Amino acid sequence: MALEDYAGDMNMCCRCSACKFIPLQMVSGFTHANVCPSISRYNFHFFSGGGRLNLGAVGLEKGFNYTPWYLSSIYNCQLCGACDVSCKYGMDMEVLLPLQALRIQAVKDGQAHPELQKVVERMTATGSMVPPEGAKRGDWAKSLGLKDAGKQKVDVLYHVGCLTSYDKGMQKLAQATAQLLGAAGVDFGILGDAETCCGARAYEMGHEKEFLAQAKKSMELIKQSGAKTLVTSCATCYQAYAVLYDRFGLKGDLEVLHTSQLLADLIEQGKLQPKNDLGLSVTYHDPCHLGRLGEPWIHWEGTKIPGDRFIFDPPKTYRRGTGGVYEPPRDVLRSLPGVTLTEMDRIKEYAWCSGSCGGVTDSNPEFAQWTATERIEEALCTGAEALVSTEPWSEKLLADTIAANGGALKVYDLVELVAQATEEGGR
Amino acid sequence: MALDKDIHSAFADVVGEENICDDPTMMASYFKTDFACVVMPKDTAQVQTIVRLCNKYELQFRPICTGWTGVFIPGTVMIDLRRMDKIIEIDEKNMCAVCEPYVTSAQLQAELFKRGLNTNIKGSGAQGSALLRGHGPMDQSCGADDRNHLAVEWVTPEGELVQIGSIGSSDEWFCGDGPGPSLRCLVQSTVPPSCTPGVFTKIATKLYHWPGPERYHLKGNSPNYSLIEMPDNMMLRYYSFDSVEKMIEAEIKLGESEVCYIVYGINAAMVSANVTSSNEEQMALFQQISGQVKGNGFVVIIAGNSQADFAYKKKVLEAIMAETGGESLKAVERPEIGEILMRQCTRPTGAIRETMRPGGTFKSIPNMGQRDLTVRWAIGAGEAKLPLIEKGLIVDDGGGFFGWGVEHGHLGKTEIFCAFSPMDSEANKAVGEWATEQGARAVEEKYFALTMSPLETIDERTGPAVSNYHLWWYKVLDALDPNGVIPLKGVSKLTP
Repeated sequence: MALEDYAGDMNMCCRCSACKFIPLQMVSGFTHANVCPSISRYNFHFFSGGGRLNLGAVGLEKGFNYTPWYLSSIYNCQLCGACDVSCKYGMDMEVLLPLQALRIQAVKDGQAHPELQKVVERMTATGSMVPPEGAKRGDWAKSLGLKDAGKQKVDVLYHVGCLTSYDKGMQKLAQATAQLLGAAGVDFGILGDAETCCGARAYEMGHEKEFLAQAKKSMELIKQSGAKTLVTSCATCYQAYAVLYDRFGLKGDLEVLHTSQLLADLIEQGKLQPKNDLGLSVTYHDPCHLGRLGEPWIHWEGTKIPGDRFIFDPPKTYRRGTGGVYEPPRDVLRSLPGVTLTEMDRIKEYAWCSGSCGGVTDSNPEFAQWTATERIEEALCTGAEALVSTEPWSEKLLADTIAANGGALKVYDLVELVAQATEEGGR
Repeated sequence: MALDKDIHSAFADVVGEENICDDPTMMASYFKTDFACVVMPKDTAQVQTIVRLCNKYELQFRPICTGWTGVFIPGTVMIDLRRMDKIIEIDEKNMCAVCEPYVTSAQLQAELFKRGLNTNIKGSGAQGSALLRGHGPMDQSCGADDRNHLAVEWVTPEGELVQIGSIGSSDEWFCGDGPGPSLRCLVQSTVPPSCTPGVFTKIATKLYHWPGPERYHLKGNSPNYSLIEMPDNMMLRYYSFDSVEKMIEAEIKLGESEVCYIVYGINAAMVSANVTSSNEEQMALFQQISGQVKGNGFVVIIAGNSQADFAYKKKVLEAIMAETGGESLKAVERPEIGEILMRQCTRPTGAIRETMRPGGTFKSIPNMGQRDLTVRWAIGAGEAKLPLIEKGLIVDDGGGFFGWGVEHGHLGKTEIFCAFSPMDSEANKAVGEWATEQGARAVEEKYFALTMSPLETIDERTGPAVSNYHLWWYKVLDALDPNGVIPLKGVSKLTP
């Protein structure tokens, strides 16, 4: 849908400010009541979901004026969707979708963020969101002897993702995932050097056209592999294949699973048996893309019923963050011997973003780290020794921020802990 | 229009360049009003300096805290108090809390619950400032309106710092009247919201006993939260009555018996809005319960300090309902509905669902007065809504109104609103006319004179009925605001 299609939603904003806070029923104290990194960092109302909707409504009416402040408002936002969830506790209106549309409109109007433009150009040229720097995408798997899903028929395609493939610090996640799938007897393969970016981050950066082109490329490869199921350890990729591709009619009947879902099933079925006592107190960070943004897409087309109410024919079912992937990662953590899970104040659909979404790590690294610092402090409040997540982009930002600021909090991907708990000869 | 460069620099020197914006494009995000600029002070000293600069440069200003509604004038300086967001003190012994303007009610209440205390959250909701004046579901047991404001720190329109009440002569905030200067009549009486005289930078608010849990433990995901366990010392019912007279009688008896934590007279449309998560669900439930509600009614919550106290309160409640013919709405007795309403009333978050979700905006006539009179007026105002409902201009709420007794007494708050689409100019015009007519009718038919509305609603007909207090108020403002930095012109039709 184009920006114009959200005019009604944007005019519905009543400036209640609910979009700035976690759902009010969940506020448990003075601290950690905020939910939107953007308004929390920059304070002006135009850095909130509601403020941006007002700008959009007026822009549609009078035209868009791309001043430095306006561009700052549009790009200093993780598009994490927290405002959308909090608003929809009380209201029936879209928030995140018009915010995305505002960014797409800016790009169409020649106002792409220069740093994001570079990233998207790189993706188009190399099929990667991170610079390959001479390496090949499948290097991490060289010595593992995994099936090449481009050549051999497999039940499950393991999609690794750009960061996990190329970042040397993250490759251990891919290796651990492959090891666990193999140990559980899953018939899986990878595309190796042929794998390409899902394109989701380009979409968040406002580059819809480039996203769609990349998505078609990626989907074509997946179709050629013949795999009916795609599993990924990257929450951003999960959201791309499960939600975005569905939204744009690209997903077909592909089953999309995040590793946490598959691991939870494998552990429940006894195919993986965590037995090593890890002796670790942890807290879990819900990545936005697996949580609220991972809620399945709801296809709907309709028109507003004329009159007093903001209702539609046929009735519209809103995505409110209710159906994200929240329990599987927690089920896995609870299954690990010696692991104690203590929740943070802001979790699940109202989790505070790590800072890594929406291209902010590229457009404004300082803001990304500020957001991560907030999350790290919240994690420390639980007394946990480690912060566990299920998305490499979040984990990298959180770990880099801890390294930059100093601190003893460890950051793990869920897969790493499962690998430790199941490895032979472990504790 | 952006600010003159020198003026911009003067403001930026106070708050830092990152906390002032005069880009005309961005002003639309603030109430779609072309403000001269938005400036965000971080403390009282910065507020004082900004106000003095406004006097120096002859700029009018308006402050906002969390900011839902208000009267905003193009060309004025918007002082956004968002960075002033600290709870200064929770004084358990003297039962008061001191907050800056951007502390939300939800935050303060969450801290208070841990201490067995509570604050009166206004009907606009828990997202609003903890310092708002006004009324809310807990008026029965948590005071109301200006009575909860104790000592106040006030930056006058000229930028002077005045500490009102006990803080004026000591370091304690427990009283608004002294020891120390008492100016409550100026800053806490019926000050029309269109002309706040300066900026309130810290306010002490009165606290009350909370017999409920330290925290509601919830399960589920938004918007479908539910209590893991209903507190065993709390109970909620919705009672309706054959006649308004019976409802008022019951309300007064409940007040006199002091057994209720909440008596909250919302109508069937508002009940159904509170407990549903979409417009469609709300419409279906409204249809369902409308036929089950006898007439007007109210939510009652009782909360015991012990099981014996709880049993006593239940017994008294049942006796009064038997005497007055109150009939409990079965739908609300269902635990899955009752528990939502319990949370929505004690941690108020229903206003958005009630007023904004259906159409996108609303216009309301609130009043504080003798309940039997205000309710009779509201019945007529509700009937006057019906033609607008029939034309499809406003949302069908059955012509409902709402209200409740305050502090166990006969006085109370009564309010009626029309919800409609902000994009429907015909509806906006019709609702405006309805509000004007009903305000005038209140005076002409000798029910009451509106005292809670902006000066814009006071005109030649209604002014004399309120001793032309607005004219006296202008005289007070003249004294407080010699340089005219409070933006009155264009707000009131009767501005001198």
